[in-house]
Amino acid sequence: MNKLVFFGGKGGVGKTTASSAYAYHCTEKGEKTLLVSTDPAHSLCDIFERKIGSRITKIKENLYAFEIDPEEESKKYINNIKKNMKDIVSPIIVKEIERQLDAAAVSPGSDESAVFDKLMEIIIDYQKDYDRIIIDTAPTGHTLRLLSLPELLGGWMDKLIEKRKKAMELYEMATREDKKMESIIEKDPVLSKLNERKAKMERAREILTDGNLVSFVFVLNPEKLPIEETKKAVNTLEKYNIHIKELIVNRILPISSEGKFWENRKKLEDKYMKEIDEVFSNKQLIKIPLIDEDVKMDNLRHISQYFEGLD
Amino acid sequence: MENRREIFDNLKEFLKSAFDFKENSMHHIKKEAYDEMDNFMLLCFGDLLGIPVPTAYYTLELLPYLAEDLEGWERRIMARKSVYGDRWGDFCC
Repeated sequence: MNKLVFFGGKGGVGKTTASSAYAYHCTEKGEKTLLVSTDPAHSLCDIFERKIGSRITKIKENLYAFEIDPEEESKKYINNIKKNMKDIVSPIIVKEIERQLDAAAVSPGSDESAVFDKLMEIIIDYQKDYDRIIIDTAPTGHTLRLLSLPELLGGWMDKLIEKRKKAMELYEMATREDKKMESIIEKDPVLSKLNERKAKMERAREILTDGNLVSFVFVLNPEKLPIEETKKAVNTLEKYNIHIKELIVNRILPISSEGKFWENRKKLEDKYMKEIDEVFSNKQLIKIPLIDEDVKMDNLRHISQYFEGLD
Repeated sequence: MENRREIFDNLKEFLKSAFDFKENSMHHIKKEAYDEMDNFMLLCFGDLLGIPVPTAYYTLELLPYLAEDLEGWERRIMARKSVYGDRWGDFCC
């Protein structure tokens, strides 16, 4: 596996369990590991039974965790803009604009962008401090969306830059006579902000599609819906040139399932296991059984043993 | 005679363009420029009018630089009777 490992999958299949266990496995090998959760409904704190939040928290030797808080991140971003604005805009307008900024901070798209920005910041800033960065993502839809963001937003940024340039060029033409200074296009702060943002998007896209830096792992259960969703997700990711090599099949029933109900379940499961083996025959499958207690720090070691075959 | 007429016409055209009588060409360029500025604002802050813009979060950081224009833009665009009419260019020049 590569330095950056994303764990994805349908809701409730055990992404957090799998990513925590894999993180544990990495620390046992002596790698300094950072485990990041991008799911707004964080559950790392429940597994490790301690407060984590949006700062790097040491869990144990070589194991660190971080839960990205979208609200906090977008608030930071907005406050920064407000501070910046006070130096530029007259105080009368500031009040009006501040109201608009506050409204925008709670709009639905903001959380997603805030999480994306923070994740990229963490990856870029801490890449050299850690041997391994593991990302526990929100359910599949979110993850796919997250990955398509740079592509989508990059396109918009291009359009914005083009429009702004055209407007400025015309403006410059219309006012040429009284201005013999350097080109207004070159010192337009709007254009430079847009270009900065575009460069960041480009960098994010490069990182996420770098096959030598990033691995994606999907977690699924031997049941109908998770299998179907995983098939679709694998295909979608292929489109973004992201290839999945490993799958984690979680919550496999023990062989000795007593009672009519469990025997039937097991039979059903066998069918789905066979389907998984067939459909994903070109992937490495890591099979983790269902355990009879809550996942906590002390049984992570036990679960982490199933990752033995992974590098 | 024909020839002289042609020379005179050409000279008239030349002078018209060179000295821009009635600032006609400037007027057109200015109008076009303001229209483009308005369109740019629409792409950035369409959210304020209820038009979803995927980059809305990122264009917020442009607000400090565009804030002065924002109020006028909103007024203009709200007052538009059609998408084509009543643009900034139509107001000022």
